[in-house]
Amino acid sequence: MLLLIILQQTAIKAQQTVVDSSVLDRITELEKQVSYKKSGEEHFLVVGVATMGFAAYKTTNTIGGIASTSKTNSFPDADNFEFSPMLLWRHGSKFLMEFEPSFNNNGLSVNWADVSYFAAPGLIIRAGYFVLPFGTYAKREAAGWIDKLATDPMGIADMTPTDYGVEVEGGLPLGNMKMNYDLALTNGNQLNPDGTLTNGNIVDNNNNKTVTGRLGLLPFSNSSLEIGVSGMFGKVGDQGALVQNTSGNLYAFDLNYVKTLSPILLNIKSQYNIQNIGNVNYLNPADSSTYTFNNHTSSFFAQCSIRPVGAEGFLKNLELAGRYTTFNTPSNSTFGANQHSVTIGLDYWLNWRSVFKITYDSYTNNSTASKNLGAFTGTTNINTFYLQFSIQL
Amino acid sequence: MKRPKFKNISLLIATAFSIFIVVSLIDSCKVSQQVAAKSGAQLWAENCQRCHNTPSPSTFSAEQWETIGLHMQTRALITDDERKKIVDFLKQ
Repeated sequence: MLLLIILQQTAIKAQQTVVDSSVLDRITELEKQVSYKKSGEEHFLVVGVATMGFAAYKTTNTIGGIASTSKTNSFPDADNFEFSPMLLWRHGSKFLMEFEPSFNNNGLSVNWADVSYFAAPGLIIRAGYFVLPFGTYAKREAAGWIDKLATDPMGIADMTPTDYGVEVEGGLPLGNMKMNYDLALTNGNQLNPDGTLTNGNIVDNNNNKTVTGRLGLLPFSNSSLEIGVSGMFGKVGDQGALVQNTSGNLYAFDLNYVKTLSPILLNIKSQYNIQNIGNVNYLNPADSSTYTFNNHTSSFFAQCSIRPVGAEGFLKNLELAGRYTTFNTPSNSTFGANQHSVTIGLDYWLNWRSVFKITYDSYTNNSTASKNLGAFTGTTNINTFYLQFSIQL
Repeated sequence: MKRPKFKNISLLIATAFSIFIVVSLIDSCKVSQQVAAKSGAQLWAENCQRCHNTPSPSTFSAEQWETIGLHMQTRALITDDERKKIVDFLKQ
C-alpha cells in the first residue's frame, strides 16, 4: 500500500515537472519576442506621399486679335504626379535622418536628404540637402495630401530652392506668444546666361555662400496665426566670369491663419515672394546676342478654405477652397510675362491624410517679353479641370 | 598693416548685433502659465491643423510617434515642450 502511494506521488511530480517545463519554454519564447520588439536606439520608418490624377486642358493663344484653341488631356497631371516615400531614421532622441526620393515628371529625383541633430531645446542643427527656409509653402504646405488644391501656386515653390549646406532652426516660447527662426548657409543659386536661376547644385559656382533665413511669430497663445519674413542673399555669378559679382537678393512674406469658428474650420494662407538679380548683360538663347533688362520677379498667392467640421456625416468631410495667384517675370526679357490664375476646388477627405480633389483653374499669361528679341508677345489662357487623389504613405 | 575694409567692419557689427538680439531673445523666452498649462490634446488640436488635418493617434505605434514628432518639429518648428506633450498624447 505504501509502495503504491509513493509510486502515485512520483507520477504526479513527474507530470508536474512536464507541465512546468512547458510553461518555462513558453515564457522563454515570450521573453525572446519581447526582447525582439523592445525599442532600441535605432528606429526606422517609411512615410511619404503619393499623388495622382487626371487633367483636361483648354488652351487659347491670342496674337494680334487672332485666337487659336486646342484641347488636351492627360493621365496623370504631369506637374503634380509623384510617388515619394520618405525614409526616416531616428537614432535615440537626438538624431534624425530624412531621405525622400521621388518618382515624378522629372523621372527619379530626390526631394531632400539630410541629418538633423536636436542639440538643445529650441536648437536643431541640420546638414545635407534640404528645402531652404524661404516662406512656408515649399517646406510645409506643398505635399499633395496637405494642399487643398490640385496645383501649386505658380512662382512660389519655384523660388524656394532645395540646396546643399547647413542650417540651424528652432521654436521658442515668448510668453503667450511663440517665435521660430531658421537660418541656412548653402551653395546658393546659380545665374544662367539668359538671366534665370538654377538651384540645388552640389558644386558651388563661386566662393560665396548664400545666406537664407526666416523669422516667424505666432502672436496668439492658441497658435492660430503665424506671420513670417524671409530673406535670401548671395552672389549668383560664376567665379571668374564677367557676372561674378552679380547678386541675387530674395525676400518673402508669409501668413497662415487657421481657426475653428464653429461649425466652420477657416484656413487662410498667403505668401509674397520678390526676387532681384543684378542688371548685367544676358544672352538671348535665340541668336546668342547680349541684352539687358530689369531682372525683377515677384509672385503672390492668397488662399482661403472652409470645412464644416461641426457638421455630421458626408458634409463634414467636404472642404471648399479658392486661391488667387500672380507671377510676374521680368519684362523686356525673353521670358517676361504677367501671369495670374484663379483656382477653386472641392475636396472630399476620406480620412485625415487622404483626399480626393476636384479643382478648376483659370490661368492667363500676358507676355511682356521683348518683341525685338523675337519672343512670343501674345496672350495665353488655359482653363484646366483636375481630378486628383493624394495620400500620405 | 592692412586696414580692415569698411564693408568688413559693417559685417562684424551686424553679426555682433544679431548675436546680441538672438541671445537676448533666447534669454527672455519664457512660457506663460496659461501656455504651460496646456495639455497634449489641446496642443495637438492647435498645432497640427496649422498645416494639415489633426492625425489619428492610432495611425502610428508609440515608437513611430517619437520619430514623427521629431520630423514634425523640424517642419512646424514647434517648441520642445509642445512636441513632447503632443507625442505623449498620441502615444496613449
